[in-house]
Amino acid sequence: MRLLRAELIKLRRPLTWGVAAAAAVFSVLLAVGGAHNAALEGGTPGGHIPSCAELGIPAGPQCTRARALERARVAQASAQRAQVAAQLDPLAAGAEAAGLMASLPGALALALLADAHIGGEWSGRTMKNLLTQQGQRWRVLAAKLVSLWLAGVGLIAVCWLALAAAGPVLVHTDHLPAAHESAAHALFLAGSQAARALLVLAAFAAIGLLAAVATRGTIGTTAATAVAIIAMLIAASLPGTGRWTPATWVQQWMGFPAGQASITSLPTNFWSRFISAGATPGQLTGLLGLAGLLAACWAAAVVLFRRQDISG
Amino acid sequence: MAAVIECQGLTKRYRATTALAGLDLTVEAGQVFGFLGPNGAGKTTTLRILLGLVAATSGRAWLNGRRIPDPTGLADVGAMIEEPSFHPWLTGRRNLDLLALSGARLPARDIAAALDLAGLTGVADRKVKGYSQGMRQRLGLAAALMRRPTLLLLDEPANGMDPAGIREFRALLRRLADGGTTVFLSSHLLAEVELVCDQVAVIHAGRLAEQGPTSRLTTGRPRLRLVIDPADQPSALALLRRWPARADGPDTVLVRTADGRDVNEVLGRGGVWASQILPERAGLEEAYLQLTENPEAKDAAAPR
Repeated sequence: MRLLRAELIKLRRPLTWGVAAAAAVFSVLLAVGGAHNAALEGGTPGGHIPSCAELGIPAGPQCTRARALERARVAQASAQRAQVAAQLDPLAAGAEAAGLMASLPGALALALLADAHIGGEWSGRTMKNLLTQQGQRWRVLAAKLVSLWLAGVGLIAVCWLALAAAGPVLVHTDHLPAAHESAAHALFLAGSQAARALLVLAAFAAIGLLAAVATRGTIGTTAATAVAIIAMLIAASLPGTGRWTPATWVQQWMGFPAGQASITSLPTNFWSRFISAGATPGQLTGLLGLAGLLAACWAAAVVLFRRQDISG
Repeated sequence: MAAVIECQGLTKRYRATTALAGLDLTVEAGQVFGFLGPNGAGKTTTLRILLGLVAATSGRAWLNGRRIPDPTGLADVGAMIEEPSFHPWLTGRRNLDLLALSGARLPARDIAAALDLAGLTGVADRKVKGYSQGMRQRLGLAAALMRRPTLLLLDEPANGMDPAGIREFRALLRRLADGGTTVFLSSHLLAEVELVCDQVAVIHAGRLAEQGPTSRLTTGRPRLRLVIDPADQPSALALLRRWPARADGPDTVLVRTADGRDVNEVLGRGGVWASQILPERAGLEEAYLQLTENPEAKDAAAPR
């Protein structure tokens, strides 16, 4: 625990504050865009369906079809506005924050933190100091992994707070409908997504840890982590392989809806847009796959680090 | 006396490079031990192996009687390897706090005492990014001292220190040794080593070239300084080839022998006349250079 405390103190650095601020700004900007787009898509206020004259079509079957289409569009837009409003509820915003951090933005944020927090021990030549105090190398890695994971958890909290503060303002300014869901339901949704995100963040942190140990430097850590994440997403889109790739496990474990290819409304994540829809494994497969990925990265990092010469 | 450091046939190879080639070394408790050698001789590699940072390719080593690598044995060892590095966005004191948290439990007063001993109390709450190189060295020293180690491994600890700092540092090492701490000092500052060390080992090309009391290395190597006409210098070097001899400036030849009469006679027979023949005692620098630049001459020049 003392070693973990030391690692958490090291994380109190300008880069961490910068990443947290960037994550918060990104979440809020996404919410601003999503709320604004949902308001624009809403069509005529009050759900008014234009008459045949307003549509410029003579009365008859053609106008009836056109009005039915318009009715469906208005209903869809109205549902979308209600959905965005629900996402921006201060309690439910936790689900949005967890979704963002358990997807590409979170992966990249953890790659940056792994860069400085773990790879920086080699680049800054401080690893030798650390290992002359603590010769059990696996303990050093465990403290690094847990502290990085806790930083990811902190990022969810920061994004949640930012969205909780910005959400009601956006709902008001964009005239979105009030959320109908109960506070308990919103809290359950947020809590469940945040809890699921913990495993995904642990897997991202383990990838960052392995990248740092393998590359022994800051730039190498960011590059290797980013390449690993992107490779996961590319692999998931390859025909025949997607079902069994880490990216698909994230998708299913988090329950991200497939094919969020547009950002006209507020996306729940930045992951599923990169994964082609199709047969995917179940939630249990996602859980086991992510746990396996975490264990494999941890074991590889420990073995590699134990044999490594600290010559910097 | 018990050996606190013992190396037997310690070897380290990095692909095509051999950093250590069967180093044998014994350091007894309570000494200030100088560890000398040119760049690339294997000094830092030896320290890294002793601290478990680098794995030896072959050979064995013991630290405080424990076969290394032994992570639990590090509690009694303080170390400063090469230029010390710290987290620049934190204060000096905070950096030491972190190191203290990383190992066995340590009272805050011990950190304060180490900062005081290193002469950093006044700047301990300043961020390390604002420290000069000398201050970083002192912080490295404080980090090495904070656990009150029985064995202190220091690699070029006086780098970047000002003359006053070096003098304080020398006094500190002496005090530590008098208090029972063994100090293993790897340094290029031969004058400092000569002043402070009880024993010296010189390594060359990864092997032990010489080990013994500093006094033996420095006083056991008499030599003659011959002042001659610059035009006669090549002839003089040729005539004196039976002794280790070398030019030292255009009109001087250094000859490793105490026998001035023989030298004078050899030169005279060859028609070279020295204007002065001055007996000298070589310092540690001379011994070091002799051992590391011309190791094959070691036997010829060994103290008799």
